[in-house]
Amino acid sequence: MKTHTEKLTFDETIKLESGSTLSGFELMIETYGELNQNKDNAVLVCHAFSGNHHAAGTKTEGGKPGWWDQIIGDDKTIDTSKYFVVSVNNLGGCDGSSGPISISPETNQMYGASFPEVSVKDWVNAQKTLLEYLKIPAWEMVAGGSLGGMQALQWSISYPTLIKKAAIIAASSKISSQNIALNEVAREIIRKDENFAEGDYHLQNIKPKKGLKAARMLGHITYLSEANMRKRFGRKLQSPETKIDEEVSYEVENYLQYKGEQFAETFDANSYILMTKAMDSFDPAKDFEQDLVKCFKQIKAKLFIASFNSDWLFPKEYGKDIQLSAIKAGVRSSYVELEGDYGHDSFLFHSDEYASSLKNFLESDE
Amino acid sequence: MNKSLEQIVTEWVADNSKVIDFGCGDGSLLKSLADSKSIIGYGVENDPDKIHSCIKNGISVVQQDIDQGLLEYKNMDFDTAIMASSIQCLRKPKEALQNILEVANQCVITLPNFGNWELRTGLLKGKMPSSSQLPARWYETKNLHLCTIADFEELCETEGFKILKKVYLNKRGNTSWLTDYSPNLFAAEAVYLLGK
Repeated sequence: MKTHTEKLTFDETIKLESGSTLSGFELMIETYGELNQNKDNAVLVCHAFSGNHHAAGTKTEGGKPGWWDQIIGDDKTIDTSKYFVVSVNNLGGCDGSSGPISISPETNQMYGASFPEVSVKDWVNAQKTLLEYLKIPAWEMVAGGSLGGMQALQWSISYPTLIKKAAIIAASSKISSQNIALNEVAREIIRKDENFAEGDYHLQNIKPKKGLKAARMLGHITYLSEANMRKRFGRKLQSPETKIDEEVSYEVENYLQYKGEQFAETFDANSYILMTKAMDSFDPAKDFEQDLVKCFKQIKAKLFIASFNSDWLFPKEYGKDIQLSAIKAGVRSSYVELEGDYGHDSFLFHSDEYASSLKNFLESDE
Repeated sequence: MNKSLEQIVTEWVADNSKVIDFGCGDGSLLKSLADSKSIIGYGVENDPDKIHSCIKNGISVVQQDIDQGLLEYKNMDFDTAIMASSIQCLRKPKEALQNILEVANQCVITLPNFGNWELRTGLLKGKMPSSSQLPARWYETKNLHLCTIADFEELCETEGFKILKKVYLNKRGNTSWLTDYSPNLFAAEAVYLLGK
């Protein structure tokens, strides 16, 4: 699989939904496969809130497989021997694209807490700049899970003629009060870390790692299903030699501690806050008098909407709601309910049902 | 789906109309209506393999058990709703018929006729009969509410479902003087266009 990673610099000013502007921005991208001569095989994959541009393969990021490696690759669901797959680290992220840990061209200092609020729409606008840069006439498909699925949906609304198919997986047309509440608890845990320093921790060369770790531990629970945790950990005790912390008794605790710690080492706390806020504010109907059907009447792309039965964070009703509004608006659209063993995280993992429905969708006629 | 059923439904569906097919199978009826009548079609299906076929063929499909409700599709401006060979598989066929008439102005219903003479003679031999319309053995069948043409039309009359059009087919899927002369005895399948 031909893999290419690059940091692109765009000089144009981008106006954000919040009213703020970024005078110039950088996008870290990774691509897989090759654009064909007709330029009609390009697929954009959008990452969920803590993902990044590294979606597939093990050629970069120290050999660590990309977040959608089970789906993207030669002969996989999104077959990189046929499709040219583009993946972008979103604005506000912390893996190379403009975000809180990048340098502001205006101040020559790290943005930190001053990085403006970003939204799903802003990401889509930045991705559209990328589409133009790559000289691709239209995406054959935009796909993503969770917050990534929201970007796919926004693409079909914002740029109806630049997208042929949208795969909206484990996503929602707006998240629930419970989802916002869980995000707020996570943010609060971060903000209350003694090292948070109102978000300007970078000025003191410190990091709110404890808060970030605890926030991730909470988040992680919401990404898994109860059944999956039961199967994976049950009530098994952690063996003393492999305990990550003295306090730990059960395997599940050790796992969360480990995952949380790993995350806190690599992710940025301000990015965490920005990304979760982008998720909270996503509501494409707000530009159409809160009428989702009216909003969907913009759509020309074909939609594929998938939910997972074990997902309690974004339950299947969210997907079904998107589908029903799409039908009402007369949008060509399909909805599938997949088993998925992993709760919300199911969208990351291959299963036969999931893979064949997504593949059939991608490879179907327009 | 035999050829004539497809032809009958094609005649009853208007150009560019919005159609929903409950129990759409592999989506072939919707596909043919999209090709011949430029309809905007949606299928509802619960069998994963059939759903895959729909998606592969570019047919819009919703994964759902029809028994879980049809009323979600109310007020969606459907011109025609189709339920081909599914009504007898539902837990509450009468309610399903009421609901499907809420979904669209006109509904195409097809049903296997349990009054057909071959099935009657089969039953005379003392065993559950089978036919090309009803191939499954009694312990494997999905049919819960088999009925005859006479039963169905009686229900339509009592419930006030208007039969706008009807076609009786023999087991080869054709109309004939016999099926018209005594549909309840000779038809293997009946196709109705119902309205409120």
